[in-house]
Amino acid sequence: MTEHSEKQWIESAAAKPRNIFSEEIVAVIIFIIIALLPIFITGYPIYILPQYMLFGVLAMSLALLWGFVGILSFGQAAFFAVGAYTMGLAMQTNFGVNSGYIGILISPLVGGALAAITGYFLFNAGVKATYFVLVTLALSIMIEQIAVSQSDITGGWNGMYIDRMPLTFGSLGEISLYNDIPVYYAILPVVIAMYAFVRWFATSRFGKILIGIRENEDRMTALGFNISAYKTGAFALSGAIACLAGALYGAHANFVAPSLGGVLFSTEVVVWVAIAGRSSLLAALLGGIIVASLSNYLSTVTPDYWQLVLGIIFILVIVFLKGGVAGAISDLSKHLQSKVKQ
Amino acid sequence: METIISVLVDATLITLVLALAAFGLAIIYGLVGVINMGHGAMLTLGAYFTWATTTAGVPFILAVVLAALGVAIVGLLLEHIIIRHFYDKPFDTLLLTWAFFLIMTEVIKIVFGTDFRNVSNPLPGAIDFGTIKIPAYKGAIAIFSLLLIGATAFVFYKTNLGIKIRALIQNREAASLLGLNISRTYKFVFCIGSGIAGLAGGLISPMLSVDPYIGNVFLIRSFFVVIVGGVGQLFGGTLIGSFFIGGAETIFALFSKQVFAQSIVFLLAIVILRYRPAGILKKS
Repeated sequence: MTEHSEKQWIESAAAKPRNIFSEEIVAVIIFIIIALLPIFITGYPIYILPQYMLFGVLAMSLALLWGFVGILSFGQAAFFAVGAYTMGLAMQTNFGVNSGYIGILISPLVGGALAAITGYFLFNAGVKATYFVLVTLALSIMIEQIAVSQSDITGGWNGMYIDRMPLTFGSLGEISLYNDIPVYYAILPVVIAMYAFVRWFATSRFGKILIGIRENEDRMTALGFNISAYKTGAFALSGAIACLAGALYGAHANFVAPSLGGVLFSTEVVVWVAIAGRSSLLAALLGGIIVASLSNYLSTVTPDYWQLVLGIIFILVIVFLKGGVAGAISDLSKHLQSKVKQ
Repeated sequence: METIISVLVDATLITLVLALAAFGLAIIYGLVGVINMGHGAMLTLGAYFTWATTTAGVPFILAVVLAALGVAIVGLLLEHIIIRHFYDKPFDTLLLTWAFFLIMTEVIKIVFGTDFRNVSNPLPGAIDFGTIKIPAYKGAIAIFSLLLIGATAFVFYKTNLGIKIRALIQNREAASLLGLNISRTYKFVFCIGSGIAGLAGGLISPMLSVDPYIGNVFLIRSFFVVIVGGVGQLFGGTLIGSFFIGGAETIFALFSKQVFAQSIVFLLAIVILRYRPAGILKKS
């Protein structure tokens, strides 16, 4: 690490408490706005927004990995799809309890285990970051191919229908989630909880060690930290979150097809996170929501050109704006603060 | 016995076709260290150029040459505008070439549409060896693939240009002190790698239906070919890696569906990458 970036790191670490504070306030305001939206808007936007929120969670799971540990996964959507398929399979079971709860419980375990196995296997051997990208890309292709070829279980190309689960409270009764408003308010708290959890995780001791690994792996090794275990842990958590988000997505969309886990969607997530800012969880969450909404809207207006524009923005961000939009905002506010002090 | 021979022949053909598809990637990654995620798009572009020119009435061989030139020019532009500023940041080049892939795929969709396109087979029919039949075109491509790799090896080891390139890989600073123009040589290598990818795309196009995503599957297979064979082991490595990936695919496809066989091979390749990160032949 160069002296320059070390200095930057110390500075940013020193500036942390204030940043956390402001990001949390922004998060609260945004979640309140999202919670109040159904009062002002009805119809399709309210139907579709929970799905975009879950895309946001998927983006956040990638930011946790990319921004905090410095490892990039090109296969994040694979976990999302695995979650959706897990939910679909769970809904076909009947153990006398709400099958949806089984899906919600099992999907993060499946995703976490899949990521932990892959991660342990690779990180333990010190596989290069670039090779990790290739392996996760292959993982994405494999999940798509397995979903296509094992058509007895997954429905192959045609995809799988997933019944939308109700919310049951044992003997207290149940709430059907077939209408837009109940399901909106069922998914929103989960999204907030997942954000809060990842946020807490990132500022915990574990999260700080991850940042240490990102900044200087050799030094952390010298200090006695088991690097591969921490990386594996982070990847497992990221996979579990992506998988849980996928399970909820599947339940909401009532449908999953192999392309949900494919390379194109996986790397679209990378583009969202790069543009929004990889080192801010909130930015990634919002980036997922906003870019996915824009994509959906503009895809109907001008499908090809929109993807083209997105690709060009992606290049510009990598070349000129490493921290993405969030990084630019934070730089700007720091700049303004120092101006005010002078 | 007959099945064994036919499997061996199949595996050999697939190996050489795959080696052709991966060769451009092996050159760019092995010599200038750029993980070219745009390789798939370059293959696709080569296939579309070939489709467009043959449809316009250009003879197949000339069409493939034009496709190679076209993709080489695209590669040259990519290198000149973006990649050359990032040679010392491999992770950034990975993202940037992926962005190139995304953009190129959209451009292909806009220009050529998303329908399946077919390039008619210039050498239909099969050569009959009694017990086995070899599709004439596939056989010709396999031989061409060997010739191309052999010719490149000759340039690499026996000519002045090859000596320059090798000097550059061995010691960049010393080579530049001796008056070698590093940036021009890098540009040349990137351009040649792109051109060979375009050539491969063009030559492969008659064997399958052309759509904007045909390069995708080849991209990851090519990477595994290069990694399994060993990065920088341009000639033997590419052939060994292709033999492993292509051969394993042929064998597994006997027992399961084609797509599933590919997943198993990817899994195997990941295991190899884990235990032999420098390639199947080197210990580490």
